[in-house]
Amino acid sequence: MSLSKDQVSLLLGMVVSAEPDELDCDGCLGRVAEFAELHVACKEIPEAMKAVEIHLEQCMCCKDEFNALLKGLSVIAS
Amino acid sequence: MASVTSKEDWVSRLKSEDTLIRDAAISDLRELLIRGLSKALNNHYGNRKFNPEDVVQEALIKILDKIDTFEGRARFTTWAGTIAMRVGIGELRRRHCKDVSLERISASDSLRIDLPDSNQPAAGQEMDQKVILSKLSQLIEDVLSDKQRLAIRGLLDGMPIEVIAARTGSNRNAVYKLVHDARIKLKEGFHQAGIAAEDVKAIFA
Repeated sequence: MSLSKDQVSLLLGMVVSAEPDELDCDGCLGRVAEFAELHVACKEIPEAMKAVEIHLEQCMCCKDEFNALLKGLSVIAS
Repeated sequence: MASVTSKEDWVSRLKSEDTLIRDAAISDLRELLIRGLSKALNNHYGNRKFNPEDVVQEALIKILDKIDTFEGRARFTTWAGTIAMRVGIGELRRRHCKDVSLERISASDSLRIDLPDSNQPAAGQEMDQKVILSKLSQLIEDVLSDKQRLAIRGLLDGMPIEVIAARTGSNRNAVYKLVHDARIKLKEGFHQAGIAAEDVKAIFA
């Protein structure tokens, strides 16, 4: 079964946006709470947290969970 | 409403040997997570109603299991929220993909691209697209493993990484790495062929 036009576009997007990523999903999970609080507070992301930012750009699943966390944070962090 | 509880309070209450204190803390956290999950995940996959009660117990077990790894670099509730979101979204993803199968795809042609007819004349942007797609097709064949092709096809069919992992007897970290390595290999292949990322974006814009 060949790829649809949309799937080819998505695949090309996945290829050209690929960047080295030192974290895996569990590594991201371990640090994303801190990253989320910095993000919500509009604080500059320190160098040590850049790896989380990169992983979120590379991993659609972690990005999806991060966005959900941001939506829930107003309740959870109260 | 859950009481306002500091980081130390949460950890010490949740680890208390006094069952009354521990149960009250668990109850407070459960209430907080139910409200947070409800706000975050209602309508999350295709307008489906999400019942956070279904997943909060599993989330609480994971949070209590990992509580000694909490380092206090974020609020306790934010940290607990990250775990709960992963559990909640994981359940939604499993439900969303329950009828989607990877088995119907054969690894050999899982990423087949139908290239434009080579006998048809092409010029300009169409020609550029043809060159890029031919190269992509060749790279998929030459540099990717069957597992990589299958995992990418799963993603392109809308399956999240953790669902692919469950269906292939793997785990999320391994599938993420498998796919990410494949993306890097394809990008390097483009680079070696003189195809820049910016060119691809412009030609397929």
